[in-house]
Amino acid sequence: MTSSVIGHLILKDWRLNRLLISLSIGVGLIALVIAQYAGGAARLLGSVWFFVSLCILGSMLPASAILNERKKQTLAFVMSLPVSSVQYTIAKALSTSAMFLVPWLTLLISALVFIEMRHAIPHGIIPMLLILAMLPLIAFCLISAIALVGESEGWLMAASILCNSSYWFVWYLLARIPSLTANWSGPVAVWNPAALIVLAAEVGSIASIVGVTFFFQSRKRNFI
Amino acid sequence: MNDLAFELSGVSKKYRYFTLEDIHLKLPRGQIMGLIGANGAGKSTTIRVLMGLVHQDSGEVRVLGHRMPAEQVAAKWDIGFASEDMRLYDSMTLDWHMRFMRSIYPNWDASYAQLLLQRFGLRAEQKMKGFSHGQRVKAALLLVLARKPQLLVLDEPTTGLDPVARHEVLRELTGVMAEEGRSILFSSHNTQDVEQISDQITFIDRGRIIDSMDKETYLDRWRRLRLEVPLGIELPPLPGIVGVQRRGRLAVATSNAFVPDLAHAYEHTGVRVQSIESMTLEEIFVANVEHNREEVEA
Amino acid sequence: MYFQIMEQIKQRIMVGDWAEGQPIPSIRQLAVDLQVSVITVKRAYYELEREGVIVTQHGKGSHVASIPGLGARLREQELEQHLEQAARIAAQLGMPPKRLVERLREAGDRVAEKDKELI
Repeated sequence: MTSSVIGHLILKDWRLNRLLISLSIGVGLIALVIAQYAGGAARLLGSVWFFVSLCILGSMLPASAILNERKKQTLAFVMSLPVSSVQYTIAKALSTSAMFLVPWLTLLISALVFIEMRHAIPHGIIPMLLILAMLPLIAFCLISAIALVGESEGWLMAASILCNSSYWFVWYLLARIPSLTANWSGPVAVWNPAALIVLAAEVGSIASIVGVTFFFQSRKRNFI
Repeated sequence: MNDLAFELSGVSKKYRYFTLEDIHLKLPRGQIMGLIGANGAGKSTTIRVLMGLVHQDSGEVRVLGHRMPAEQVAAKWDIGFASEDMRLYDSMTLDWHMRFMRSIYPNWDASYAQLLLQRFGLRAEQKMKGFSHGQRVKAALLLVLARKPQLLVLDEPTTGLDPVARHEVLRELTGVMAEEGRSILFSSHNTQDVEQISDQITFIDRGRIIDSMDKETYLDRWRRLRLEVPLGIELPPLPGIVGVQRRGRLAVATSNAFVPDLAHAYEHTGVRVQSIESMTLEEIFVANVEHNREEVEA
Repeated sequence: MYFQIMEQIKQRIMVGDWAEGQPIPSIRQLAVDLQVSVITVKRAYYELEREGVIVTQHGKGSHVASIPGLGARLREQELEQHLEQAARIAAQLGMPPKRLVERLREAGDRVAEKDKELI
């Protein structure tokens, strides 16, 4: 019975946010198409736009889905249902993750497919692409976690600003690792240890963010 | 099976600017309890602790036999909660909310829900953002009433409603009593509503319970005595008198433990008792709060 | 508040809506019908039983007492209450009993006149 309540809450969140989801998929796809079919500068612009749309999605979705529940005072309605605060967090985490992952995966897979089918971009870039694409995912997890635990727009804004302004710095750091940049213009994707370690660290950071979130959520004594 | 709808024992909850202290409260199944208090007295906090939305600092809370907040999920299957500051989803219709509830709760009574739509005068296909305040309150009530829960916990269900809407709501709340074993806890600062439909009355002020007992007994204990005090006679202080107001030779004494001997006691001292009147719950509420605050400050 | 309920029930018996010996709604049912608390109706029934107006049988519900002429008797009680109240006010006014009887007769005449006009 309980798992179905969590399921219903997830469906509810999807239903409430479907406009936002479709918009972000649409915008991202347009960016990708431009990046593939235009030349030179347009391609660069398209790539950047592709990445930016991912980042914006990552910040807006948590705000919409998570904080609105508190702001618009519908949290009391949800908590009157047979769910605990931990179950609520699970439902919110799953629904917002799914909402982010669908467009994110769509964009990532489309990018990989385009690279495969259109030989304009070398396969060597694929590991780096993956590493870069993980960054908005980590940012999304972090911002969502802070929205859930911090409960306020102030915290959310601080987290968004921090993440969105850190991308350039992280890119800079990554670009300075020679084994990552060495092969990216080559015809073959090279999975060297450096790339694998970075990817593992990214996945690890997501896992710890999730763990810490649940820890704090379960200890809250004034849920509303 | 437990015969109490809920029981709070020694419950305390401290906030920065407000403390709920040593709350003892219980309601037998099948009855309605009205919780009265001024704004900020602690009605909403007590209800939140009851629902497990807020963890108490100390004391035990049991609702329908379940310990709260540990067993809140099990309890909430049988509790219908609606509060004044609760909102439904603006961009969705009432019908969407009804289908949402129906998908979660197996004992959703669809025909009763339709009947309530008619009685409350609500349009199911309308989005919540188009609802007026009164319609919103009735919509939230519809969503909990149609589930036919064992316990209804309502935070100010008639506040801000016009007289017709109030009547519609009170009709449904008393209608709940047709089924034995179902209980209601509602908070209000509308003493008329509480007086009309409550079996048990609880007064709360500044985080403490002042009184909690069955309504008719309570109303029987309070009396207003209109007195005529001849010149040269002092009004004696008598047990059971909680307040006296003088206007020249006339006086009004308020008692919270009236027995006929009280009137006799006055007459013995030469004071004439013009009349003994019962008091409305509103008058009792005001007198009680004033008396209680005096006692606390003394 | 239970007092009002008692009066309502007595009225129904007096006008003949509820006859002697006739079953009346259960406490719970009447509470729902009148939209008042169960405890109020319970107290009203208790007091009415003490006065001998209704009878409650455990498990069988309640009914109007099977006293022939109960309706008329309740009317008599109502009259007594009004008369006593009139006497009390007359005493406060310092009115002698003879004058009170005259006033009652005058009032009776006035009521008869008004009734004639209505027909």
